[in-house]
Amino acid sequence: MNRIDRRTFLKAGAAAGGAIIAAPVLFDGWLTFAGIEKTGYFEKEFGITDALCKKVLGKALSKGGDFADLYFEHTISNSLGLEDKKVDRASTSVNLGVGIRTVKGEQVGFGFTQELNEKSMMAAAAIAATIADGSATPVAGKFVNAKISDYYPLTGTKPAPLTPRLSLVESTAGKCFARSNYIIKTIARFGDARKRIMIVTSDGVKAEDLLPGSALSAMVTVEKDGRKEQFWFSRGGRRDFSYYTDDIAKEVAEGVVDGAVALLDAVDVPAGEIPVVFAPGSPGVLLHEAVGHGFEADFNRKKTSIYSTMMGQKVAEPMVTVVDDGTWPNSRGSINFDDEGTPSQKTAIVEKGILKSYLHDIISAKYYGLSSTGNGRRENYQNYPIPRMRNTYILPGPNKPQEIIESVKKGIYIQDVSNGQVNIGQGDFAFYVSQGRLIEDGKLGATIKDVNIMGNGPKLLQDITMVADDLELGCSGVSTCGKEGQLVPIDAGMPTVLVRSLTVGGTKKQGA
Amino acid sequence: MNKQMYDLCKWVLDTASKAGAKDLRVSLGKSRLVEIQYRDKKPEIIKQATTVQMGIDLFVAGRYSSQNTCDLRKDALKDFISDAVSTTKLIAEDPFRTLPDPKYYKGRADIDLKIADASIDDLSAEQKHTIVKAAENAAWSAGGDKVVTIEAGFNDQFDESVTLTSNGFSGYSSATNFSVAVSVSVSDSENRKPVAYDYAEGHFHKKLGNPETIGANAARKAIAKLGAKKIETATLPVIIENENVHRIMKGLFEALDGRNIYRKQSFLADKKGQKIGSDKLVLVDDPLIPEGLGSRPYDSDGFAAKKRSIIEAGVLKDFYIDWYYSRKLGLEPTSGSTGNMIVPAGSRSVEEIMKDLGKGILVTDFLGGNSNPTTGDFSVGIFGQYFEGGKIVHPVSEMNIADNHLKFWHKLAECANDPWLYSDWRTPSMVFGDVVVSGV
Repeated sequence: MNRIDRRTFLKAGAAAGGAIIAAPVLFDGWLTFAGIEKTGYFEKEFGITDALCKKVLGKALSKGGDFADLYFEHTISNSLGLEDKKVDRASTSVNLGVGIRTVKGEQVGFGFTQELNEKSMMAAAAIAATIADGSATPVAGKFVNAKISDYYPLTGTKPAPLTPRLSLVESTAGKCFARSNYIIKTIARFGDARKRIMIVTSDGVKAEDLLPGSALSAMVTVEKDGRKEQFWFSRGGRRDFSYYTDDIAKEVAEGVVDGAVALLDAVDVPAGEIPVVFAPGSPGVLLHEAVGHGFEADFNRKKTSIYSTMMGQKVAEPMVTVVDDGTWPNSRGSINFDDEGTPSQKTAIVEKGILKSYLHDIISAKYYGLSSTGNGRRENYQNYPIPRMRNTYILPGPNKPQEIIESVKKGIYIQDVSNGQVNIGQGDFAFYVSQGRLIEDGKLGATIKDVNIMGNGPKLLQDITMVADDLELGCSGVSTCGKEGQLVPIDAGMPTVLVRSLTVGGTKKQGA
Repeated sequence: MNKQMYDLCKWVLDTASKAGAKDLRVSLGKSRLVEIQYRDKKPEIIKQATTVQMGIDLFVAGRYSSQNTCDLRKDALKDFISDAVSTTKLIAEDPFRTLPDPKYYKGRADIDLKIADASIDDLSAEQKHTIVKAAENAAWSAGGDKVVTIEAGFNDQFDESVTLTSNGFSGYSSATNFSVAVSVSVSDSENRKPVAYDYAEGHFHKKLGNPETIGANAARKAIAKLGAKKIETATLPVIIENENVHRIMKGLFEALDGRNIYRKQSFLADKKGQKIGSDKLVLVDDPLIPEGLGSRPYDSDGFAAKKRSIIEAGVLKDFYIDWYYSRKLGLEPTSGSTGNMIVPAGSRSVEEIMKDLGKGILVTDFLGGNSNPTTGDFSVGIFGQYFEGGKIVHPVSEMNIADNHLKFWHKLAECANDPWLYSDWRTPSMVFGDVVVSGV
């Protein structure tokens, strides 16, 4: 069924002075926004005019403060799931609201409402205003739409309906079963979200965007001679449905099944300090945890990061350049502008071994007398922005992957990482390896799994001794970073890299 | 009961029925929250808002979907529901998806769970600021010149929820929640800056205790982390502190979930009635404790809450089987939701146990790590204190413990007398013998 007609009708109603109902539209079973235009949505659908924004911002600055901003959001998320060969569950979630922030120095007043009417917005603005206690700060006379690049252009004006999406999930599961006789269970899922945002600031910035995000994932359980193992694999990013071809379904099925089957022969992992080689791609979580978080400028202006006294210093060998990049096409961590309206950029945090820049939002940039690096991000309108990573990776280096593996007499090779964590102040980090291999005499050996690896950020940077030329991002389409209770989409990656030594949390004493 | 919320839920039932969904569950939640946070004696964050969230589970022509929205304007909701019904009809049939048999709704305990503090509105903004300042000042006093920065905060929240089903379930719950937390960052001569926090959380603001104690504890914990180093990989007794032991227990717990059992991702699927740990391992789920942070009158299926024994003297007694997976697995449903997870306390203090053990590691925090529900393998980073002769020698960091749950819980030697009450996991510190701790 097609509900375009209803939309047309509603617009006519609005023009006639009736209630404006901004309903998402059902395209043959798939609930989403009708159009892909980036600007004008909140004004057209909810009557959010510049004049209204000015009034609300005025209220937010009625007791003073440096600036205030409004963050409007309307998000529609859908998912389809399968655990018995057919898609037998669907879910839809709609989130709508506006967050209102008043900033005074490093202090933040914040209110939000899910009702986009003047009365509710003014009440939320009055709460934000309580952070200051002086006389009113003026709001810019007009709001100028930010000129932006588009790092995730959408194709086609009409979204794909439900049916091909069902087929995608079911064919992925079918491909899994066809690939190995050891499979005893396959679970597959397709998730898709579209987020419309509009940021209006008291400094006169206006920025609007439509952010897509989607992923196809599968998990299988395999059994051989009474031993069971599970593995998970996924592909996605800021992509529309045209990305999900049969080749992608095949890539997911092969990735998950081959990964699971390899685990059936996994051996115990040694415990203690040993050399570690990272495969390209998903092990980039290492950088996110060990380096990235410590470079987020809020931790540095508060002096809680171990990196807060190291700006301009040599922290790694010259072949090490680490960037946080919001501009990688269609990557999950890419943004056209951040959630404060600052255009996205590629920021070198370590350049040729020297600590070059922290990752700033507007508050920290002002604190340091710099410009924001476009890292002010938030989970949704219910949260205020803080410095967050986008896509974090090491640039390619001079070595060849094979040469790196051959250089290690005894160590481990990490192929897939599921999660990680860092302790900012001490720099200690950990990440969990779901799949890897032993390295013996320069050759890849038996499979290993389920091991936590720990290290210290500044020491890790010093200990990167070889970097290869085969950079990849994780591209799982689901990588998510949690900080202060807020989840934001990110990605991370790296080329093949050798780290001199890390603590491997295995069960077997070395030499035992 | 909040009549306005009830009426909207009833309207959704009627509207969905007209749109073709005869069977459904609708839940409406409303929260009002306040957050006040200070850093270095200045207010840093003041946040306040009210949120609503509606969830609708639709069972249409043998098919199922779940829907969520916060856009509660009736015209928008009406379209949302009719769209959802249309979508649900397009996916595959699932004969196991139905609303629960109403017999499981019956028998709701007629007790006051004491989870809502009627005096929440009596606490003024000024009083909240006073609590935060008191907690922060105590941390500054206890931390002295080692302190880099201190954050202190107060949160309160009032939640209401209404759930109705088309087959007769009707539930209302209201709860308040208050917390005070202090986080202290300290620095040593090598520029390492450990952070530690302390907090109190409860349904009643008068039960949070003294804010000064929380501040001083946070500072004391942070200073205790200064000078941490790792020791050689060794097999040692390990005491995991009360507040954090649930991080390891959750790995065990995941394998009790009916969904994971059905998906063949549970290392405990065939272990009911078998010994999975030492005699000291006992786990009770009691959702009916007054003032408990996991207390609730009914679960997500609407089943009346009941106290259950999950593990008794190391023997696995029961799983978490919700209505849907009970039908898929052909088992009697228990509950898919947790209440207060209780490990009974022992009789000795951590200090007494340390004296007895001689040397070992007192684990105070974890870093990273994960647990594999299919195999039971886990590996997790630890922070804590190395002790010898029953006395703390130095803090440890960047170390790790790894094992398999089916072996690890047999190493449980004792539970201490210090149950942690600021969580729905009411666990005492737990003592394990012969754990491989990897370090240098």
